[in-house]
Amino acid sequence: MSSVVAFSVFGVDWEFLKPYIVLGLALGGVYALSGTGIVVLYKATGVLNLAFGAVGAAGALIAYWMVNHTSWPHWLAYTACVVFGGVVNLLYGVVFGPAFAKRDPLVKMMGTLALALILLGIMAWRAPAGGAFVRVLTLPSSSHYYTVFGARVNLTQILALAFAIALTVVTTLFLRYTGLGTAYRAIANDREITATLGVPVRRVEASAWLGSGLVCGAAGLLLADLYTSLDYTALTFLVISSLAAALIGRLESLWVTLAGGLLVGFVQSILTPYGSVTAYRAATPFVLSIIALLWMGRRRVVVFAPATP
Amino acid sequence: MPSVDRPLLVRLLVIAALLVVALVVFPATLGGDWINTFTSVAIYSTVAAGLVVLYGRVGMISLGQIAILAIGTWIATRLSYVVNLPFPVLLLVTGAITCVIGVLIGLPALRLSGLYLALITLMAAGAVNVVLAQIQFPNGGGGFTARTDNPSLSGLKAVPRPSAATGDNAYYRYTVIVCSLMFLLAVVHFASKPGRAWAAIRESEPAALAAGVNITLYKLWAFALASFITGVAGCLLAAQIGQPNTYSFPTQDSLSLIATALIGGIFTLWGAIIAGVFMQLLPFLFQAQWSVNPNFLLVVFGCGLLQVLLSAPGGLIDQFPKDMANLGRLIARKVPLTRQAALGIASILALIVGIVLIVMLKSTPIVGIVVVVLSPVFASLSQD
Repeated sequence: MSSVVAFSVFGVDWEFLKPYIVLGLALGGVYALSGTGIVVLYKATGVLNLAFGAVGAAGALIAYWMVNHTSWPHWLAYTACVVFGGVVNLLYGVVFGPAFAKRDPLVKMMGTLALALILLGIMAWRAPAGGAFVRVLTLPSSSHYYTVFGARVNLTQILALAFAIALTVVTTLFLRYTGLGTAYRAIANDREITATLGVPVRRVEASAWLGSGLVCGAAGLLLADLYTSLDYTALTFLVISSLAAALIGRLESLWVTLAGGLLVGFVQSILTPYGSVTAYRAATPFVLSIIALLWMGRRRVVVFAPATP
Repeated sequence: MPSVDRPLLVRLLVIAALLVVALVVFPATLGGDWINTFTSVAIYSTVAAGLVVLYGRVGMISLGQIAILAIGTWIATRLSYVVNLPFPVLLLVTGAITCVIGVLIGLPALRLSGLYLALITLMAAGAVNVVLAQIQFPNGGGGFTARTDNPSLSGLKAVPRPSAATGDNAYYRYTVIVCSLMFLLAVVHFASKPGRAWAAIRESEPAALAAGVNITLYKLWAFALASFITGVAGCLLAAQIGQPNTYSFPTQDSLSLIATALIGGIFTLWGAIIAGVFMQLLPFLFQAQWSVNPNFLLVVFGCGLLQVLLSAPGGLIDQFPKDMANLGRLIARKVPLTRQAALGIASILALIVGIVLIVMLKSTPIVGIVVVVLSPVFASLSQD
């Protein structure tokens, strides 16, 4: 009885909501994972990578093909997915990164939209989604279930959350304590001056693309499993809802992004039992993004922007 | 005799010739599916024209125009279930309501620009999609959404076409005329006070402010005009389809729209027409005429978008004549071959040759795709 009293805050029966909170954190792990992946690359290269989901989905399709149509060991398929993400991002970064380096962040983002379109076209050609046929990529970890506060969660959901937290911790330490991390921060600050100081700017940026690509691949693998089916269009556009986490973190703070991802998942999940809004809960990330963006722009003043070269 | 501006005269003649071809020659010579496709081309050109107003003229990017189109289509469908308006009135009312919603969505543009404006419009489109997926399009049910899970045949109603244009050919002509009027509305704006204010805002907001331009008014005006145009296009689309549903607006269409609008040329309304052709005519040609997988077009759009972003901000309408002139001069050996010029020409040729290869080599489309992908690579190298 006492626990019910303790949990009944704001007229809400928190005891009843507990399983939804657990599920929300599991869902939040997904958002946080994509969000941190996006923020890491944005901090290093100034590119908001909207192809994040498409690259991950393409990698997951390759893994799906290897698991179902070859006799190769499964770990090889999962590795191929992660490596594919790294290679595609590295190629894009090396070929197009320098040409886009001096452009506006908007133009850089549109470039990644183009990459997403190209990948979408190739995926729709090689792996057409047809009728009742659904691809499912199940990681071995998904068969391990745990019951937390009355909600069933599987190991993949826990892994996603753990991966998001680990990514945040490792990246924070990396940026703070390593030479390469310092170079990233310097480039984010001013690319030209960093180059003048003798930092091999292009190679450092290439390493950022490679790193974020590996994260893309890993996220694609986890998301393809967590999203119940390997629907590449849905996975490609999942990145847009995941941006909510990154925007709550102002595309700046990895820790706030992590927290933002968990918040989005939490809000979306606890709306489930409320009949009047439950159908619209998928709009949660969009609404929270809009609020975050409006908050960021609340004190805008008109200034003469420095002339861009 | 008053002197006539020659370029203007040429332009007017070209427009008149195009209208004659579109209104007289096409309906007389082409079959039904072609005419339906050209109706869609006109509608999507008009949607792209809205983007030309916002991004090309004022510099405000919107990634949510397909959502606005869907809203326009929904409103037209809903209205046709409650009132029996004459079609021109339905067009205007739909345009007006969409205009109000568009201005609301455009409000953040007063505070945000560039990347953040792109993101907030993308998010608004995402939210609209979630709501539309839930309430669906009206099918004769009750309540605000007029939607029921078991529609009765008597309750179902197609959005009526204008009484003078119920056939496909007549409706096509009607659509072309309405869309031309929308283009004219945009041209009138560009050539008068709002157009000058928008140009000032695009070039420099503080300078425009200092010159006494009411930035709030003119930014919202641009959103109002673009949403009105898009709402009218939505109403035309509703009557073309009859009973629209959410499948008429696939998610990747918002990406295709911005890609084709930029490829066509975001700074002029000619570019909007090219965008409409790319978005509607090419898929039809690929699928129905040449039996080629239309998904290859997504690859082409992606590569074209990269190429435009990297080396041809004016899009095809601006860059293609320049590249061809360069090619001519090179062939005539009037200018030495520089690395940059060679790569620029190679880039546009790779795009064209790649598309031809995709269409010709049906069994091995990979060859064409590789050539198409080379196009932005050349464009990137030419910037180095």
